[in-house]
Amino acid sequence: MNRKTRAVAGGLATLLATAALAACGDAPEEDNDSGNGSGSGDSASDFIPCIVSDAGGFDDKSFNQLSYEGVTQAAEELGVEAIEVESNSENDYGPNLESLVSQGCQAIVTVGFALASATKESAAANPDLEYILIDDAADGGEDGETFDGQPDQPNIKPILYNTAEAAFLAGYLAADYSKTGVVGTYGGQPFPTVTIFMDGFKQGVDYYNQEKGKNVKVIGWDGKDGAFTGGFEANNVATQTAQRLIDQDADVLLPVGGPIYQGALTAIEDAGREIALIGVDADFYETDPNTQDVVLTSILKNMKVSTYEAVKQAGEGDLDFTPYVGTLENDGVGLAPFHNFEGKVSDTVADELEQIKAGIIDGSIEVTSYLEQ
Amino acid sequence: MTISAAPTTTPAEEAPTVVTVVSRKAPVVLSIFTVGLALVLLLGSHDGDTTFRLSTRDDLFQLPAVTVPAMVTAWLLVVVMAAIAGWSWALTLRERPTPLWLVALFTVAALVSFLAWAAAGGTIPVVGLLGGAIALAVPLVFGAMSGVIGERAGVVNIAIDGQLLAGAFAAALVGSMIGSTWAGLAGAAFAGLLVAVLLGVFAISYHVDQVIVGVVLNVLVIGLTSFLFSQVLAPNAAELNSPPRFKAIEIPLLGEIPVIGPVLFQQTAVVYLMYVAVAVIAWALYRSRWGLRLRAVGEHPKAADTVGIKVNRTRYRAVLLAGAIAGLGGAFYTLVSVPQFNREMTGGAGYIALAAVIFGKWDPIRATLAALLFGFASTLQGVLSVIGSPVPSQFMLMLPYVVTVFAVAGLVGRSRPPAADGVPYVKG
Repeated sequence: MNRKTRAVAGGLATLLATAALAACGDAPEEDNDSGNGSGSGDSASDFIPCIVSDAGGFDDKSFNQLSYEGVTQAAEELGVEAIEVESNSENDYGPNLESLVSQGCQAIVTVGFALASATKESAAANPDLEYILIDDAADGGEDGETFDGQPDQPNIKPILYNTAEAAFLAGYLAADYSKTGVVGTYGGQPFPTVTIFMDGFKQGVDYYNQEKGKNVKVIGWDGKDGAFTGGFEANNVATQTAQRLIDQDADVLLPVGGPIYQGALTAIEDAGREIALIGVDADFYETDPNTQDVVLTSILKNMKVSTYEAVKQAGEGDLDFTPYVGTLENDGVGLAPFHNFEGKVSDTVADELEQIKAGIIDGSIEVTSYLEQ
Repeated sequence: MTISAAPTTTPAEEAPTVVTVVSRKAPVVLSIFTVGLALVLLLGSHDGDTTFRLSTRDDLFQLPAVTVPAMVTAWLLVVVMAAIAGWSWALTLRERPTPLWLVALFTVAALVSFLAWAAAGGTIPVVGLLGGAIALAVPLVFGAMSGVIGERAGVVNIAIDGQLLAGAFAAALVGSMIGSTWAGLAGAAFAGLLVAVLLGVFAISYHVDQVIVGVVLNVLVIGLTSFLFSQVLAPNAAELNSPPRFKAIEIPLLGEIPVIGPVLFQQTAVVYLMYVAVAVIAWALYRSRWGLRLRAVGEHPKAADTVGIKVNRTRYRAVLLAGAIAGLGGAFYTLVSVPQFNREMTGGAGYIALAAVIFGKWDPIRATLAALLFGFASTLQGVLSVIGSPVPSQFMLMLPYVVTVFAVAGLVGRSRPPAADGVPYVKG
């Protein structure tokens, strides 16, 4: 009996160890390089840029991937080796940051709203390191409620995107394209970085209705609340949420939240009628060839460029910590080309979008979002 | 039949006796629901009409959409509910039980009333609502079948979630490599079986606490699949992570029945497989030699052993079969829902399946109904949040879980697991 117990204990320990190893197997992958990388680099450096993803991972064809590309491009140009760490869950954020700090990172890019508090903590503990936080202003203050637009820690550079402006254009386009008069959107979870898309989208549709005297309906977002899958996994819930929108006659879908658009793809395939998809963050036409037949356009966040610039600055030692806000004006956000839908959208809509874009930039058309209260 | 006053019996005593006292639970619960819904209608009055759309665009027989004034309909149905509750009280006072069909009628009235109220000014696609319930329930049903078989044989299977996830992973991998959905399905069953082998070795041969083994297995599968996904599948997505999809097959004649046809008989092969699996398991568990032996080792392994049934071998077979079934459920994620694997894509469905097992009192049919209830509640949540509901979305997302918890805790009452559930069998 005793022997058996021991055997079992050993077995379980092995299981647990495998699980633990598998869980963080991808994290320390760059361990060796970080030691050599600094030594082998030429004059440029012992500068080590680092990046940590949120739970979506660097292969999300979306904002993690774009930021990662920005960091690697900057690292290449600086002639240094970047260290990347993927988070598998929100429990990984803190430990991953700690591990990067201990590996000697000088500038750490943290991707996503979800990492804001972990970033603030790490930034407070390591005031001599530089942090680039994407998608959050890090301005919660002591009470978590301040939101004054100023980062709580002086060594955090927030990179934000007023995606509502680009989503406004997408909403206008969707309203113009829709034949059923219903357009739909759904999100992963009601985070501000998610709802800003839905918000701008609805405003765009409303603007179209007002200008053209039409009555295109937005479902899945009513200005305050809407349809969410409850997570950012592409699974049957995502498919079914898209299906619910299609049931209500929507013929343009805007899924906001990493891979959940995959669910919309299968729902569209099953619908048996023509339904268009609007991508977010990256141009889906380029990043995911499976979408090419259905993607009307994509709402772009130019993360690659802004991350690249910030890391480059940090590498050259002159990182400017004032928050960067991507807008239509500075091309931080924008609308992707129509690609296959070039012939399907109305002839005038491209020009109208140009005018609206100009209107938003000069302020004659107002787009509200949580970034400008 | 005897009337038992003792609320609990220890396992050492005789098997618990059947209670035939007419309980007041039915009328009390019906009354509470009636009053609750009336309060909801009073507090949140909605104007407008509600449309129930009964056909999809491509149905052969188009039923007209039914449009009703929201508040009037809701109140009328509340009156019907009150009448049923009153009837139930009358029956109870005469010491007669409330018949099941009456409860079913009440449930339908309550549901339609609630829908009429909640969707005022909007459209409820009935086919989508019911079809969505099935689509969301498929992995849960397979998982619950796996749980029922395992626990009836005396092995608690917490690792259902792990088996689903392993199934989803293997289905994506094998399906993409071979390019066949059926190969993917076989791979999924095999992956679920592999997880079950581990469960069996530790739980049956080494008598480890079955709950702990199950939890560890879940963590193991999450870790392993996430690791393999990011290292192997994601970089080679085109070759390894783009499986073909099962297409919906319409069953002739049956598929053309209004409402029921598109809901039940225009589905994918996986769903038809589910119908067959539930029917076969429900039959075999109670009517076959296999089922009798399986239940015997789960209720009283010593007695089974005495008459020559090999307890641990029977349990192994049951656990392996259960694992393969859960694996098939996992295949639904990657071969039907979304044709690619991604991290932790089951979203904890295995735990809901486990709840369905208990809610269903370890019976295949009832566990299936429990899984369908969860699927229905999830779809309802989806429909209401799309057409805009007065309830905040975070609360709406809790709806399916709240329904499940209430159903398990409130409506089912005391459910008795197989007597030797979770107890390893040691000879001698």
